[in-house]
Amino acid sequence: MLNSAYFLNLVVNGVVEGIIIALAALALTLVFGIARFPNAAAGDTMTLGAYAGFGAQSLLGGSIVLASIFAMAVTAAVSVFFYYTVFRKLARSSVAALIASIGIAFMLRSGITFFLGHDQRAFDIPIVRAVPIGPVRIVPSDLTLAAAALGALAVVFLVLYMTPLGRRMRAVADDQALARASGINAHRVMIMLWVLAGSVAGLAGTLLGIKTIITPEMGWDLLLPAFAAAILGGIGSPVGAVLGGLLLGVAQEVSTPFVGFTYKIGLGFVVLLLVLLIRPNGLLGRGEAVR
Amino acid sequence: MENYLLAVAIIGLIYMLLTLGLNLQYGFTGLINFGHVGFFAVGAYTSALLGIQGLPLVIGFAAAMVTAALTAYPIGLLSLRLRVEYLAIVTLGFSEAIRLVIINEGWLTKGVQGITNIPTLNQASGLGISASLLTFILLILANGLAILGIRRLTKSPFGRVIEAIRDDEDAVRALGKDPGRFKVRVFMIGASLAGLAGAFYAHYIAYIVPDQFLPLLTFYIWVAMIMGGAGKVSGAVVGTGTLVLFLEGSRFLRDVVPWVSAVEMASVRLGVVGLALVLLMLYRPGGIMGDYTSR
Repeated sequence: MLNSAYFLNLVVNGVVEGIIIALAALALTLVFGIARFPNAAAGDTMTLGAYAGFGAQSLLGGSIVLASIFAMAVTAAVSVFFYYTVFRKLARSSVAALIASIGIAFMLRSGITFFLGHDQRAFDIPIVRAVPIGPVRIVPSDLTLAAAALGALAVVFLVLYMTPLGRRMRAVADDQALARASGINAHRVMIMLWVLAGSVAGLAGTLLGIKTIITPEMGWDLLLPAFAAAILGGIGSPVGAVLGGLLLGVAQEVSTPFVGFTYKIGLGFVVLLLVLLIRPNGLLGRGEAVR
Repeated sequence: MENYLLAVAIIGLIYMLLTLGLNLQYGFTGLINFGHVGFFAVGAYTSALLGIQGLPLVIGFAAAMVTAALTAYPIGLLSLRLRVEYLAIVTLGFSEAIRLVIINEGWLTKGVQGITNIPTLNQASGLGISASLLTFILLILANGLAILGIRRLTKSPFGRVIEAIRDDEDAVRALGKDPGRFKVRVFMIGASLAGLAGAFYAHYIAYIVPDQFLPLLTFYIWVAMIMGGAGKVSGAVVGTGTLVLFLEGSRFLRDVVPWVSAVEMASVRLGVVGLALVLLMLYRPGGIMGDYTSR
C-alpha cells in the first residue's frame, strides 16, 4: 500500500533511526579526524552503554534519564581507559590502532556475554501509542529520543566550536604536526576526544536499546552503517556525520518496501562503496592527504 | 584419541590455507583484508552446491577456487582506489554482505537452514580409507603445494614487486610498474586459497550454514598470521599451529574449570582473541617468527 502517508511514516521513522546512526557516526568521525584511525570498538562501546544503562535502571530503578547519564559516564571512562592503555601507544600507526580496536571490540563483547549472557534485554519504559499528526503517526518516546540526541549533538558542537579546548581539537584534526608545533598539549586534547566520543557512543547505544532491544551484537551491527554515514557526510566533519546519519537512516527506511527487510541492513554497505568510489570526500569533507 | 587428533589437524590445515592466503595479501603486499571469511564462504557454498548435484569433487574444488578468485576481482579493483583503512572497512562489509546474500537467497543456498549431506571426500572417490584420513592427506598436499607456490612467487620478480608495493607504493610507480595489476592478482590468489579451504571445509563437515562464516573467523586468521609473523611463509605455519593449540586447548580448559559452560567458553575465546590482537599490536607486532612488513 504505497501511498504518500506510508512513505511519510517511513521518512519519519528513518529520521529517528538516522539520529541514532548520526550519534554513532559522530563518535567515529571525531576519532578518525583527531586520532586518525577508524575505531572499530565504537560499536561495542555502544553496546556497553546500552547494557550499562539497563543495569543502572534495573538496580537503581526508574529514571531512564539517570540511566542514560550513567551509561555515558561508563562508556566515557572505558574509552579513556583504552586510550591510556592502548591507543596512546599506537598513535604512530593507524593500521595497528585499527586492529587493536577490533581486539577491544571483541573484548568488550566477550565481557558482556560472559557476565550477562546472550539474552535480549529491554529497558523498562511505559508502552506508548503512536499519535497521529496529520497523515503521520509519531510515537512520543521517539520525540524524546530525538530530543536527547539533539541535546547531545548540541553539547558536542558547543565544545568543538565554542571552547578553547574544542578549538585545539579541531587544530589537531586539521594538522597534527602544526598543532603540536604551536604548543597544543595533545594529551589533554586526546582525553577530551575520548570522553566526547565515548559518551556519544554510550548515548547512541542507550537510545538504540530504548528504541529497539538490547542484544550483545547491537553495536557491532550498527558499525557499518555508522561508518557509511560518517564517510557519506565526509569523514572528519561532525556536521557531515550528522547529515550522513540522517540521510542513511531515511534511505534505509524508504528502501525497505523495495529491497526487503534483510537487505536494508546491506544498504549501508552499498552507500559506503558508492561514496568511496565516486566522491571519497563525502558531502562535506575536505581533501585530505593520503597515507 | 587419534580420531580427535586427526580432526584437529584437519581444521588446522584448513586454517593454514586461509592464513597462507591472507599472509600473501597483507604480509607480503600490505593489503588489509578484513573480509577473508567471505571468500571462504564462497568456496564452501560453491563446492557444496556442485557436490550435492552429483558433480565430481574435483570440479567442485576447482570451481570453489575460481569463484572465490572472481569474487575477489572487484575487491582487488577497489583496493586500488581506497586507503588502507577504508579497504579494511569495505572488506569487512563485503564479507557480511556475502553472508546476507547467502541468508537471503535461500532458493540457491537454502538460507539459514544450510546445506546438508554434502558428500565427503571418500564417498565421492570410492576409496576404502576413511573420509578423515583422505581429507587429511589431501590437505597436506594442498598446503604443501600452496607453500611451494607462494615461496616461488615471493622469491620471483613478482614477489619483489609486491613487497615493494607494501613498503613504498609510489616508488613502485616511479619505476614504471603498475601496482594495480599486482594488487588485484594478489587478492585473487589469496582468495582462491580461501576458496579451496572452504571446499575442504564443506566436504569435511558435510553441513554448512551461514553462521559458520562470521567475521570472528577472519580475525582468528589475523591472530594466527600476526602471531606467527606476517610476511613470512613460515610465520603462517607457526601461527596457525599456535592458533589451533589455543582453540583446542580452550576446550580442555573446560575440564579444568568445569563451572564454565560451553557458551561462556565461547565468550572467553572471543575475549582472548581480542586480547591477543591488542597485545600483539602493542608488544610484538612481529610475532614469533619476526616481522618483515614495514610499519
